[in-house]
Parts: sequence; structure tokens; C-alpha cells
Amino acid sequence: MKKNMQKIEPYIWILPSIILMFVFILIPIVFVFRMALSKVTRAGLIKGYAGFENFTKVLSTPTFAMVLKNTLIWTVAVVGLSTLLGFILALLLNNEFKGRKIARAIVVFPWATTLVVQASIWKFIIDVDYGTLNTLLMKLGIIDHAVNWTASPGAWFAWEIACGIFVTIPFVTFTVLSGLQSIDGTYYEAATVDGANYWQKLFRITIPLVSSSLTVSTVLNIIYVFNSFPIIWNMTKGDPGNRTDTLVTYLYKLAFYNGKQGLAAAVSVIGFLILLACAMVYMVATLRKGDE
Amino acid sequence: MNKTADISINGKRLISRIFLYLVVFIICMIILYPYFAMFCTALKNRSEIFSAEGTVFPIHALWSNFADIWKKAPMAKYMMNSLLIAGGSTVIALLCGIPAAYALSRMKFKGQTAFLGFVIVSQMFAPVVLLIGIYKVIMTLGLTDSILGLIFINAAFNQAFTIWLLRGTFIGISPEMEQAAKIDGCSRLQAMLRILLPVAAPGIVTTLIFVFINAWNEYTVALTLISTDTNKPLTVGINIFNGYNMIEWQYLFAASLFAIVPVVILFAIIEKNLVSGLASGGVKG
Repeated sequence: MKKNMQKIEPYIWILPSIILMFVFILIPIVFVFRMALSKVTRAGLIKGYAGFENFTKVLSTPTFAMVLKNTLIWTVAVVGLSTLLGFILALLLNNEFKGRKIARAIVVFPWATTLVVQASIWKFIIDVDYGTLNTLLMKLGIIDHAVNWTASPGAWFAWEIACGIFVTIPFVTFTVLSGLQSIDGTYYEAATVDGANYWQKLFRITIPLVSSSLTVSTVLNIIYVFNSFPIIWNMTKGDPGNRTDTLVTYLYKLAFYNGKQGLAAAVSVIGFLILLACAMVYMVATLRKGDE
Repeated sequence: MNKTADISINGKRLISRIFLYLVVFIICMIILYPYFAMFCTALKNRSEIFSAEGTVFPIHALWSNFADIWKKAPMAKYMMNSLLIAGGSTVIALLCGIPAAYALSRMKFKGQTAFLGFVIVSQMFAPVVLLIGIYKVIMTLGLTDSILGLIFINAAFNQAFTIWLLRGTFIGISPEMEQAAKIDGCSRLQAMLRILLPVAAPGIVTTLIFVFINAWNEYTVALTLISTDTNKPLTVGINIFNGYNMIEWQYLFAASLFAIVPVVILFAIIEKNLVSGLASGGVKG
């Protein structure tokens, strides 16, 4: 009796967490997959099995190809550039200098600010008629007339990417900083004695030793950025003509504006499958690391 | 000869110091610029914002904007809702997450790796991709348009981080004290509550604040599930000033400041602990 109790005890401890995730994550996942494979009415009711009809319908539209391309550009540009810039910023902040604490606190700002506010402020700053960027640059004498920063959908998208980079950099910086601060200073002392220069130290000591921090931040960022909704939604709503849509804004419009929940579910599933590849890599890497 | 060498090394050092300060200063200015623009705009009047010339600083600081928003929109209600959502999500996330993290760090059981695997993979499902499914679950439970529904969803989607951070914290604490307490006749629950949790308090506080901030900042789910204005949290509610025909920027930004200032302060407090937890503590097995 007591032995049985001991066997089931761990499951009692994890039960609340399992119930919570089962109801609000796992069941929605099942729903989405079921809808992706069903005929769905405008009201969201399931009317029989549809096979891969939703998928073929979605995949055959030229819009989808564009949206997928946007999603890849968005994810690669935001994650790539914010990783590079965040890494450089971490190297700078890893130096001892007066005011470092203040600088670190300032770098936290974009991370802590809700994305919807970030998107509004950037939309305001770059506005052609009354944006403060034009005002500031004119007052500083850098430009002499108002520049239309968002003349084309591509320009809008570039600004959305810039905003994405702005909000993603702090996470990279702080993850790398924590990695940097755990590096034993004697490595650098030994390298200095051996006559290594700054770049040799950077590539032979620093980068290899923070690579695990960089992996964590990169994989998590790929997931966040891929699924990021508020910035694009608040700046352009994916328009004009889906030109700035990514998968998540596209599926949101399909589901809640156009009443095409079956198609939206299919887009969701395609999104999972793309991310699943990343998650697999991440999981294998973390679990392997756990075994060491 | 040695002296000149010293001077050139010092000179080099000085230049790299100046360079460091300059670059860090410029970066900080760029980061602060949107907040500066937001604050200045929140103090301007409408005609000044839309004037052809444009101003950097407000001509007359209109502090009344900060008071007006409470009359023009149910700001107090939004704020209360945000507090309830963030507070409720934090409590539920921790009530479910602490025992799970405890089991993962102190017990061995079948399916442990599978559970941990699911926790890690669940991070890849953002609520926005599952919204159609979440909507169905919420409807079935009769929680449409309710704050309670948002609380559960936020708690669920923060389980991964909660368990992740707490498991790392618990693993970092030696189990010897708890074992000794159990020999003295304490139950497992008592050992956890009286011995482990007080020692783990810094890690728990970090997790708590992090979940609170995430739920406070959440936008997408609230936007979709809440239709009644007085049930909206700040992130969604402030867009009342962001109408289709007319954007009241000064009010939008005054209200936005109420949404971000408390959180930025909280975040600055935990930043150090949070990052080391995310990057190493959680990953170490």
C-alpha cells in the first residue's frame, strides 16, 4: 500500500500543472488540428472531414507564398540582426565602467515594455506628416524637408523589422551577459601572457564559451519572433494587400475577419510544422546538455 | 624607453575608454528616444502635435492630459483588470508550477523526461497560433469575455517558464536539509513549505515577477477574447484613443505610460536573477 502510494506520489505533484496545460494548451492544439482537417462553417462549426482540402486551398493561393516569404524574412532578419547587435552590446556592457548599472537598466526598457505600446510609438515617430523623427532631424539640420519614411509596403515592413530588432536586442544582450560573466578571468590572463590580441581572445575564448547562451537566446527568439503578432498588427495590420503579413497576422485575419477558420487552422498547422523542426533541435540540445 | 611605451599603452587605453563611453552613450540615447518622444507627446495639446512645424519639447507642458485620460476612458477599470489578470495568472502559475518543479527536481518517476519534453515544446505554441482552439475551449467553459478566462490562459502559457526557472532553482539547492527534516518526522509537503521554499525565495520572486510582467503585457489573447470595454486590460483598453478616424496621440501615450512604468521598474529589479536563471540554471540538469 505504502509502496503504491510512493509510486503515484510524483504524479499528484505534477497533476495541477498537467491539468492546466492539458485544458488550455493541449486541447486547443487538438482543436486546431481537427479544424485544419475539417470542413468548417463561417460560424466555426465543424461539418465533416475534409482531408487535406484546407491545406491545398491555402497552399495554392499566391498570397500564401508571399506571406510565407515575409515570415521567413521577418524571422531571419529580426533574429539574425538582434543576435549580432545584442551580442556586441553585451561585449560593451561587460566592461567595467562608470554608469554601467544605469546603462543596463536602460537596456531593460524595450524588453519590459508591452509590444503594442512599442508599435504605436514607432508608428508615431516615423509618420510623414507629424512624426517626431522628421521634426528632430530637421531641427538638427540633418534633413531640410520631411522625409516619407513609409513610402512603400516594403518600407513599412522594414520599419516593422527595425521595431522587432529594437525589442529583441535586450533579451540577447542579457542572456549573453550572463554567459560572459561566468567566464573565468584566468583564461584571458593566460591568453594575454601568450600574446593573443583582442580578436583572437574574442574568437578563441569568448565566443566558444558563450555559445550555449547564444543558442538558448537564438532558439527562443526564433519561436517568439516567428509567432510575434502585436508589432505588425498595430503598425500595418499586414496590409496593404497582405504585403506586410506574416503567418500569424494572416491566420488571424482569416479566422476573425474573413470567417475562414478551416483555412486559418491549416495555416496554424503549417506554422507548427516549421517551428517543430526548430523545437526538435532545441530539445535534443537541452536534454543532451542535461545529461552531461 | 619604458616610459614612452607606458604612455602609448595608456593613450590607447584612453582612446578605447572614450570610444566605449561614446558608443554606450549613443546606444542609450537611441533606446531612450522613443520613451522621450512618448513623454513629450503626452504633454502636448492636439494642435501642437499635428502642427506643420512640429516641436521636440512641448511648448506648454500640459500635465492635465494625464488627468484627462481618467475621465475620457475607464482607465481605473483597465488598470484594475490588468492587475487582476496579472495577479491571478501569477498565483495560478505558481500554485501549479511549484509542485511540478519540486517533483521534477526531487523525485524520479516514469514519464519524467516526457513531461519535461512537453514543457519545453509547449513554449513553441504561442497563444496567437492556437487562438481558434483557445476560443472553443473558452466558449465551452462559458468563460467568453471574462477576466477569469484570461487568467487561466496566461497561467497555462507561462507554465513552461515557471517550471523551467523553479526547477533550476530547486536543483541548485541541496536536498540534505529536507531529508534531515523528513527523518525528524516532517512530511514531504512540510519539508518543501518550511525548508525548501524559504531558501528558494529569491528564485521564486524572480519567477513571480516575470509571470506577472508577461501577463500584464499580454495583448493578443485579450484583444480577441474580450469584447466588453470594462473587461479590457490596459494593453487593449488604451487603444480607445487609437480610433480609425482620429488618433488622440497625447492621450494614447499618457495612458501608455501608465501601462509601462510599473513594469519597467519591476523588470529592472529582477533582470539579473532572471537572466542567469534562463540561461544556465534552468538548463543544467
